[in-house]
Amino acid sequence: MTATGPTTSAGDPLGVETLPSLPGLGGLYARGAASSGRIAAGRALPNLPVIGQAREPDDGPPVLPGVAYRVTGVETGGLATHLRDYQRLLHEPVSDVMPAGYLHVLAFPLATAVMVRGDFPLPLLGMVHLANEVEHRGPVRVGDRLDVRAWAENLRPHRRGVQVDLVAEVWPDGGADRPVWRGISTYLARGFDLGDGAAGAAGADDRPERSERSERAPAGTWTPPLPTGRWALGPGTGRAYGAVSGDRNPIHMSALAAKAFGFPRAIAHGMYVAARALADVGTARGDAYRWTVEFGGPVLLPGTVDVAVTPVAEPGTPAAGFRYVGWNARHGRLHFEGGVVPLGP
Amino acid sequence: MTDSYTRLVNTGLTKTLATRLGLPRPAVLRRHRPGEPLTVGPVLVVSDAASKTDADALAQTLLGWGTDVRREPSDDARWGAVVLVVTEAARPTDVSDAVLAVGSVLRRLAPHGRVVTVSRAVAEGDSPELAATRAGVDGFLRSLAKELRAGATGNGIVLTGGAAADSTSALATLRFFLSARSAFVDGQLLPVGPAPAGADEAPVDDDRPLAGRVAVVTGAARGIGVAIAKTLARDGASVVCVDVPAAGEGLARTANAVGGTALQLDVTADDAGARILEHARSRHGRLDLVVHNAGILRDKLLANMTPEQWDAVTAVNLAAQLRINAQLLDAGVEGLRIVSLASIAGIAGNRGQTNYGFSKAGVIGHTRATAPLVARLGGTANAVAPGFVETEMTRRIPAVTREMGRRASSLQQGGLPVDVAEAVAFLASPAAAGVNGEVLRVCGQSWLGR
Amino acid sequence: MATRKTTTGTPRGASSGTTGSARTADVRDAVIVGGNRIPFSRAGKRYADASNQEMFTAALEGLVARFGLQGERLGEVVGGAVLKHSRDFNLVREAVLGSSLSAQTPAFDLQQACATGLEATINVANKIRLGQIDSGVAGGTDTISDAPVAVSEGLRRALLAASHATTLQGRLKALARLRPVDLKPLTPATDEPRTGLSMGEHQAITTARWGITRDAQDEVALASHQNLARAWDSGFFDDLVTPFRGLTRDDNLRPDTSLEKLASLKPVFGKSLASSEATAGPTMTAGNSTPLTDGASTVLLASTEWAEAHDLPVLARFVDAETAAVDFVHGHEGLLMAPVHAVPRLLARNGMTLADFDFLEIHEAFASTVLTTLAAWEDADYCKNELGLPGAFGSVDRARVNVNGSSLAAGHPFAATGGRIVATAAKLVAQRAAETGETARALVSVCAAGGLGATAIIESV
Repeated sequence: MTATGPTTSAGDPLGVETLPSLPGLGGLYARGAASSGRIAAGRALPNLPVIGQAREPDDGPPVLPGVAYRVTGVETGGLATHLRDYQRLLHEPVSDVMPAGYLHVLAFPLATAVMVRGDFPLPLLGMVHLANEVEHRGPVRVGDRLDVRAWAENLRPHRRGVQVDLVAEVWPDGGADRPVWRGISTYLARGFDLGDGAAGAAGADDRPERSERSERAPAGTWTPPLPTGRWALGPGTGRAYGAVSGDRNPIHMSALAAKAFGFPRAIAHGMYVAARALADVGTARGDAYRWTVEFGGPVLLPGTVDVAVTPVAEPGTPAAGFRYVGWNARHGRLHFEGGVVPLGP
Repeated sequence: MTDSYTRLVNTGLTKTLATRLGLPRPAVLRRHRPGEPLTVGPVLVVSDAASKTDADALAQTLLGWGTDVRREPSDDARWGAVVLVVTEAARPTDVSDAVLAVGSVLRRLAPHGRVVTVSRAVAEGDSPELAATRAGVDGFLRSLAKELRAGATGNGIVLTGGAAADSTSALATLRFFLSARSAFVDGQLLPVGPAPAGADEAPVDDDRPLAGRVAVVTGAARGIGVAIAKTLARDGASVVCVDVPAAGEGLARTANAVGGTALQLDVTADDAGARILEHARSRHGRLDLVVHNAGILRDKLLANMTPEQWDAVTAVNLAAQLRINAQLLDAGVEGLRIVSLASIAGIAGNRGQTNYGFSKAGVIGHTRATAPLVARLGGTANAVAPGFVETEMTRRIPAVTREMGRRASSLQQGGLPVDVAEAVAFLASPAAAGVNGEVLRVCGQSWLGR
Repeated sequence: MATRKTTTGTPRGASSGTTGSARTADVRDAVIVGGNRIPFSRAGKRYADASNQEMFTAALEGLVARFGLQGERLGEVVGGAVLKHSRDFNLVREAVLGSSLSAQTPAFDLQQACATGLEATINVANKIRLGQIDSGVAGGTDTISDAPVAVSEGLRRALLAASHATTLQGRLKALARLRPVDLKPLTPATDEPRTGLSMGEHQAITTARWGITRDAQDEVALASHQNLARAWDSGFFDDLVTPFRGLTRDDNLRPDTSLEKLASLKPVFGKSLASSEATAGPTMTAGNSTPLTDGASTVLLASTEWAEAHDLPVLARFVDAETAAVDFVHGHEGLLMAPVHAVPRLLARNGMTLADFDFLEIHEAFASTVLTTLAAWEDADYCKNELGLPGAFGSVDRARVNVNGSSLAAGHPFAATGGRIVATAAKLVAQRAAETGETARALVSVCAAGGLGATAIIESV
């Protein structure tokens, strides 16, 4: 490793384990199977933990593995078809420039690989995606060689368990002073604690209480704005995004599987709705932008989501970005909200 | 086109069968096709001694039309037509030889042959003998027509007002009767007078006698109206096709078929005549001919007749024609030809058609009365009275009644819309200027009425 | 005056767009000779099995018959359909070939959503004014009943891949990718592609933002039916419509409707807005929204000289036109508000104000479209901020709006509406000028999907 090896956001150094290729994707797409448009990243991952798997109580407080996975020299020349499939599904214009959501899909298997390490203290399945934050610094095109890194950090209490950030970075291969893309996915593992008495304490997390099943929250606690759009999401939405993203978590794939995890029907991927919102912003986002989302109640499939994607600006000034919010068209309950803010050079 | 019975008894096995059974075998009538000869064979012109000059003149004209004309009966010909000229016969006995000469060739009259009498009308001051002779032709012709078979017809020209036998209008009438255009006109005697002063007389053998003329046809969306529009256009007229707005789809079809214009107009509108005139003049530059063809039926026994049924028929079939004619006469349209559609129902009457019969007899009445008014402007007003004609309207008549209507005539069949149209076109032609105030029946010599 | 609720986002300067130059003297007049349409019919009724080509041909044939254009080589026939089957790639030309016009009459299809018919008129008028053609027909047709049904994207791609494959194996492989869900046909949607909201939902948002009441909308709908019925009864359409398939009048027309009947209808659009920031409940019903309709319309335009040479009447002059588009995607402006932007530019260029018009023909996509249009022009803040005007654009005497009814009563076969309105407006100004001996003017406004709008000035000759 070089001196500029990965550190956590807090500056703690990380050990680096370099993998030969991106799990699930490197092998599959480089061989051109991308044309099928369907990824089976999940299948390529070893030993998916089963639901309910829990560490033994006397294992001591959970500790994150202090290691980053890294894949260098990731070839993207063979991804044109896959990118096109992604862009069509997410209503992005088809081009060779990868939207931020696509880079998330690209880096996702590496982050997942971190979470399925034997020493990762939390179970992969059953974790709830609370929020996501992406800094996209410039265009990444099909054909660019990339350096992808992923690690976990910032394990902290949440009133319903513990939450952890999975950080992924995409660097241009061959040197740069910062990543061209950096994503932080925040997950909640319910029912865990950090052993310091903080778990479950009120105020343990400064994020709004959105991780609860808002479907069960009383109506009228939040008033939606006038919509600017409506998404009619078909029953196959989860399968379609699962096929493109490789995230074939059963709760997205079928109503039956989702029921096993306590959902009445299959639910849409959080990153799918966030990426749809990003696409709705359109060309106004530019090449470099910060893209954030916080998830509320899950979007049950099939379902209709009303969205408002609106420019944020003081009167008389150019738009300083967009806020977006999505809610259930029938009940008016919040599904997600976030923003897209163009970044300077 | 031809009804299915007529088709059956004239083709194949069913023809043999019908002949054996002695069923009535109506002929498939010969109808006008451009380029075909005027008659199906040589024309025999016979006359009494006194009428020889007129007969010679007519024979000369017929030669000019390219027909094979003979003056003596013979057995070697299959006659296309026989013209009996008795214009100058003064006593009943004068016509005997000529009439019997006609009789001698009847067996050799070709199918679709023609017999045409040319005589003079009884006039005021005629001696009883002269009147008897002239009137006798009427009964002779009507009876003779009933003896003719195989699509042959008999019609008569009755010269009035001292019109010459070879006057333009008489020749035009002769040509019409001889031709296939008069296929369904049978047993009719048409009075032909001298053309009114100022009426332009035109060549009678013109293929496009209406060239440059502008005609208006009401009720042009379907049935007989379509045929009239097409026939007038064939004869060279620019046609303004008029029908109620609700019939606009068919009206557009007619207008486009004849290269005319469609005017969606209810003829019962107060200003219908003015609007017709305005349209014809602004869009076609002039107005020469109006064919009052629009008509409706609201059949009901008088005992059950509602005011709406009575009034609607009167309004469309009669009042509208009167109003339009009045407006056109007020506007002083020069040389205007008016042809109104009457009906055999207006002559003989029909059960359940008191309203229709009233309106159609009314048409005959106003035609006669309008004739002198329009003559002052060099025009004519005539009516055509169709008998049973195969149209959408008659197809809805119950089968038995319909079949009786068809067979109850000398030609034993219904006419086609084009037969009516040909009569209209003839009356509208410039050469027919001497025919005014008359009603020409197109009925195959129906047994009904005169 | 309606109050406009503030929205997220900032108004953008509307004055930056170029407004073109005023009518120049070296351009000759394009005049409207007349029009013809078939009666409009609610989807699935009388024209259930009539195709776009059949309907447009019928409308064209009626026009040819009315003006005696059989065998005539016109300069151009321009029209289109919003919902068009791929086999109709040359829809208008095929209609010309099936008509009594000369087969040497050129034609082309264009499409600008609901503004198709008016845009076609603008095209023909412009060509005439430039001297490129002397005569032309503009029009449009649309069928919901016979709308093209597409296959799913999956099936379409598989079929295309299979047809491109050179071997049987390749074809089978392409087809093997099909999934059962791919076999489900796609019926045409009128949803805005970028927002997923139907036009009705979009207008429900605009209606809520402008605070347009249910009562006001129902009154517009009632007037539309009453006005159209009166126009029919008075014979106004006798020389503007030719019956088709036995239909002699627009069958959406309800002469006997009433405010009570309209008030009894349940809202169909904006129902989800009940819980939103919008204060009023849903207000848009089937009664104050246009129904899906089948139909076709045509307008005959010409140079004055051509009309004279052909002994044809001239109803009006097609003076000028302006199209506009609005940024509706993120809710900055209502989807159907583009004509609100176009008209001030159009009138400024021609030195006119709203007061110069005897008639306003505002396409009633919804009753509230008319009301939001009029309300916007009366709102000084809106006119300043959005239209770049010094103050309110102006008020309109409602008695001049859609005097012979509009789309709420007649129905709205998308591409056919422009032709209906242009012919109606031309006849209205001709009649008014004949009565008064003075120039009469009509302003035509047609909103369209995609945030589009087309507007035009029609003036008596």
